[in-house]
Amino acid sequence: MQRFGKLIAILAIVTLCASTALAASGGNAKKGKYLFKKNCKACHVTGAEGKAVTPLSKTQAQWDRFMDGDKHKAKPEAWKDFSAQDLKDIQQFLFDHAADSDQPETCG
Amino acid sequence: MKKVIAIGLSMLFAAPAAVMAADPAPTVDQLRQQVQDLSKKLEDMSDRVDKNEKKTAVDRINWYGDLRVKADTLHYKDVTATQGVFFDFADFQNKALAGAFGNPADPTSAIAGFMQANPELAAAFQAGQLPAKGYFVMGKQSYDINNDILYTTRLRLGMKADVAKNVNFSGRLSMYKNWGDSTGVKVMDNFGAVSQDGTNSGNTSGDWLRVERAYFDWKDIGDSNFYLSIGRRPSTYGPPGQYRENEMRGGTPSGHLVNFNFDGITTGYKLSEHTGIEGQTVRFCYGQGFESEWGNGELFNEINTKDVHLGGFNIDAINDGTNFLQFTLFRALDVTDGFKGLVAVPSSFLPASFQQAMFPGFNMITRMQPTTNIGDITLGGVGFAREEMNGVNYFGSFGWTQTDPNGKTGLFGGLLSDPVYQIQDITADGPVIAPNGMTSSNDKENGYSVYAGVQIPAPMGKLGIEYNYGSQYWIPFTQAQDDMIGGKLATRGHVGEAYYIFDINPNMFIKLGGLYYDYEYTGSGSPVGAPQKVSDIQSGKGASMLPVIDKAWDAYASLTVKF
Repeated sequence: MQRFGKLIAILAIVTLCASTALAASGGNAKKGKYLFKKNCKACHVTGAEGKAVTPLSKTQAQWDRFMDGDKHKAKPEAWKDFSAQDLKDIQQFLFDHAADSDQPETCG
Repeated sequence: MKKVIAIGLSMLFAAPAAVMAADPAPTVDQLRQQVQDLSKKLEDMSDRVDKNEKKTAVDRINWYGDLRVKADTLHYKDVTATQGVFFDFADFQNKALAGAFGNPADPTSAIAGFMQANPELAAAFQAGQLPAKGYFVMGKQSYDINNDILYTTRLRLGMKADVAKNVNFSGRLSMYKNWGDSTGVKVMDNFGAVSQDGTNSGNTSGDWLRVERAYFDWKDIGDSNFYLSIGRRPSTYGPPGQYRENEMRGGTPSGHLVNFNFDGITTGYKLSEHTGIEGQTVRFCYGQGFESEWGNGELFNEINTKDVHLGGFNIDAINDGTNFLQFTLFRALDVTDGFKGLVAVPSSFLPASFQQAMFPGFNMITRMQPTTNIGDITLGGVGFAREEMNGVNYFGSFGWTQTDPNGKTGLFGGLLSDPVYQIQDITADGPVIAPNGMTSSNDKENGYSVYAGVQIPAPMGKLGIEYNYGSQYWIPFTQAQDDMIGGKLATRGHVGEAYYIFDINPNMFIKLGGLYYDYEYTGSGSPVGAPQKVSDIQSGKGASMLPVIDKAWDAYASLTVKF
């Protein structure tokens, strides 16, 4: 038991020292999904003006570059109604479900 | 390459005139030099792109994975080991009264010696109170077990590859070992100790990678919503187990009912395309759990078993990222009295003469194979999970199983029944007993289980609490669940779990937690053998081949990295 206690203590220290730095953070992916479906999907579906776009269309790094750098340059007015927090939420959703993110391990 | 250079040059010449005008007009030589420099850079870039393109083209498999190191401290209270069998007392009484074991009045006779050694049996015999059949317990001992620390390492390497636009391959190689052991064969002191096909991914074996999963998905067949998937299935770590695993959904079927490595086929239909309900999918699954002929002595005609087949429906009614509702209904046909597997035989199982012949610490490794088909098992369940906007996740799942025994029994028993033993003779070493081919019960038995849990956001991570209960005859296919004391969802009794997950970064987390098991009935996770009250085993009213646990707890700490 003593050894197990020591192990817990070590893990606790590691946790406290751990960096939480990450690219997309602070957004609510669930809210982001709602905003993405409600707003972005108006144009970004097959056959529509913006062509089909899903989170899988880009990698996590590419989404971060798009959200932080590109900022929807092709049509800036599409973003005008989003608050900073909305954009953060959308970014979190896209990041969490990007092509290189974890995917459900199911068939089909 | 030419295209890249052409685009570069056009970009150069298309530079805004205003910018050009701001500087003194460059000479032709300067411009030529700039073009040459740019061309060189573009050639260099093109070379680098070509290398990446080639690398991407020849890297046909995308690899990913995770590594989990875990420490568990395991504590078992009131473990009871018994020596005894389900016994045909009526047969014994008839034989004894007929003088088969000598004259009871003669103190030197076999029956007199036997009665003297078993005074309770003798008293019941003389009072005419022996039941027709019941447990005959010849020895019993209780003890506690403490394994202060048990370290394990689990490595999982996932593979994905595109075969065609609508066909892809998925696979997973896994290594799961406890520290300091790569023998791959454990002493059979519990049902999970057998190294076998269906449970290898969830039981520690050794320092080698096993193919835990390998299957293809052929989607949108003929532009329909059908898909076909064949191979070693993603049939472990299913929902709602992903919350405690802190990962995405880990398998297709309900983890409450199925957590077992199956080889099989799934054909699915994406109903969501018609109903508009996100993630709605109907699947028919088929698998083979046991191959009876091949490798079992077919050429010597030593086979008297049938293959075990499993089939059923697995329906995701809703799976929209917030709500998840799943229905499951399976039936396993011709279930056998075990699987093919390797075990080290416990020394106490060996005849006394063998035990004396073995060196201390040496066990016999043996390959087991089932001998009898014992009946069918039906499994059904409904599970619901919801993920709230505020990060709170909760779930509830109900499971039901029904056994349909065919009345046959192997060495260790029939479907949720024990073999009936009859006395053959009484020698100087004691009674000689043998099974008579009958089972203690041929009744259809219904078992049920409930499983519920909640996970709430907490500083630096999340806090989770889970509870599950399984009834006396609960028999799911979750034997590959990797909890150290035993797959918690197979438990016939109560299990509580609490854990705290520290999300260090998106690819790394620490989990601290504890599991408390309160077993009410014996044989959790085993379709073979009659489940008996743990209290009956403790009081000597019942017997079990393997030691019976009453209560146990497991406190654990793990660090997982995903890559």
